[in-house]
Amino acid sequence: MKTISKYLITGMLSAICGTTLAFDFGAMQNQIKGAQNQIKDAQNQIPKQIPQQAQPSAPQQLIQQLPVSPQAVNVIKEVSGPTQEEEVAIGRQIAGNLLGAVPLVKDDKLQQYVNNVGRWVASQSERPDLPWHFGVIESSDINAFAAPGGYIFVTTGLYRLMQNEADLAGVLGHEIGHVIQKHHLKILQQSKLVDAGGKALTTQVGNNDEVQKMIGSGAEIVARSLDKNAEFEADRIGVVLSARAGYDAYGLPGVLQQIGHSAKDAGSVALLFKTHPHPTDRLDKLSLAMGDRFDKVKGEDVAQRFYRAK
Amino acid sequence: MRALKVGGAALLWLLMFSAAMAAESGVALKADDIRKEPFGDAKSVGKLKLNDKVQILDKDGGWLQIKSSTAKGWVRMLSIRKGDAKKGGNEAAGLLAMSSGRSGTGKVVATTGIRGLNEEELKAAKFNAEEVKLAESYAASKAQAEQFAKEGKLVARKFEYLPEVK
Repeated sequence: MKTISKYLITGMLSAICGTTLAFDFGAMQNQIKGAQNQIKDAQNQIPKQIPQQAQPSAPQQLIQQLPVSPQAVNVIKEVSGPTQEEEVAIGRQIAGNLLGAVPLVKDDKLQQYVNNVGRWVASQSERPDLPWHFGVIESSDINAFAAPGGYIFVTTGLYRLMQNEADLAGVLGHEIGHVIQKHHLKILQQSKLVDAGGKALTTQVGNNDEVQKMIGSGAEIVARSLDKNAEFEADRIGVVLSARAGYDAYGLPGVLQQIGHSAKDAGSVALLFKTHPHPTDRLDKLSLAMGDRFDKVKGEDVAQRFYRAK
Repeated sequence: MRALKVGGAALLWLLMFSAAMAAESGVALKADDIRKEPFGDAKSVGKLKLNDKVQILDKDGGWLQIKSSTAKGWVRMLSIRKGDAKKGGNEAAGLLAMSSGRSGTGKVVATTGIRGLNEEELKAAKFNAEEVKLAESYAASKAQAEQFAKEGKLVARKFEYLPEVK
């Protein structure tokens, strides 16, 4: 039991990176409950860096090591996730729904500009060849959204808080972080395991009923909170990708600082504050993680060509 | 006489400019060293105490050049809250203008009473094929983005991911 719990903890932590799990392991359920209670203690002992390569291997490890039913093995296999094609199909459905509620700003130059910055930042990540898409959407709300497969949107409210290209790079870098770590995809996989039992996805273009069933109603997935550690992780990735792209790494912290000054009760940050840790907490974590590592890594802020939203 | 006038105008402009710069103020969010250069290992030239009022003179990466009542030097950006001491309230717009050095542009970014995006709205959202196609039409290829970076004098460099600090 102790060994099983240990594997479960390691497997679940590296594969899911969260503490709330909803999928059904059948007979293993009780063991999971026991393991979940131990997760909090174990969290203090896990390696300081979330191992990127460990994700696909962890379920494999579980399959080899655990004496479980074939059904459970299938469930565990699901954790390794859909193909990239499926991932993009899921993201496209979410993007289309979000755009159904909040349309793009009708400014070609703005949209092209944001795609250039975003693609350049994403090129510094370990998934440079995803079909990345970026957009500015018409809302005074201060927020940004990432959907699987590389669909990323920033509201005009947030865009207008930015002072230069490095700020934009930092914000997009945070969202790119969610995509490369598959944070939303992991949430969906959990609900998929409950709702659809792991049916294969189709990747048909256009409104995709099967995918829609999986993502719930409309674009609600973008309003769902991620584990706060996923947000902190995306912050760290955002500054690093910015630095790799040649930008001043302090774009994202600067924007967070500004958002932190917004009144708590302002409608424009209500959803953001509801679904993310407070900017002050994010800055504290980020500041600790950044330390003096960036002191000698000066970058460009490219303020001259920053495209101001009309 | 004419030359004098031009000189006078230039002087006036200079004065106004420095007044605008001096108007950018901040408050210390925590105690920190004030350093001679914008580096963590630079010589300390003074101490910043919590809630010290400072003038912000310049920015360099994650560092701000400040002048406090006791010293002038560089402190980490995250140790300073830009703007006046008052807490809360809807000050984002004013702060924004100040941080850009363009105070007085009258740009308003956030006003109270805006009904933000909400979950019901997002839940009720219907797939918009036209918009998603439009979004996809703006995509930049990797090569285009590289060219764009080059034009902005951006040079890619290696940098390790940051470990999580508990």
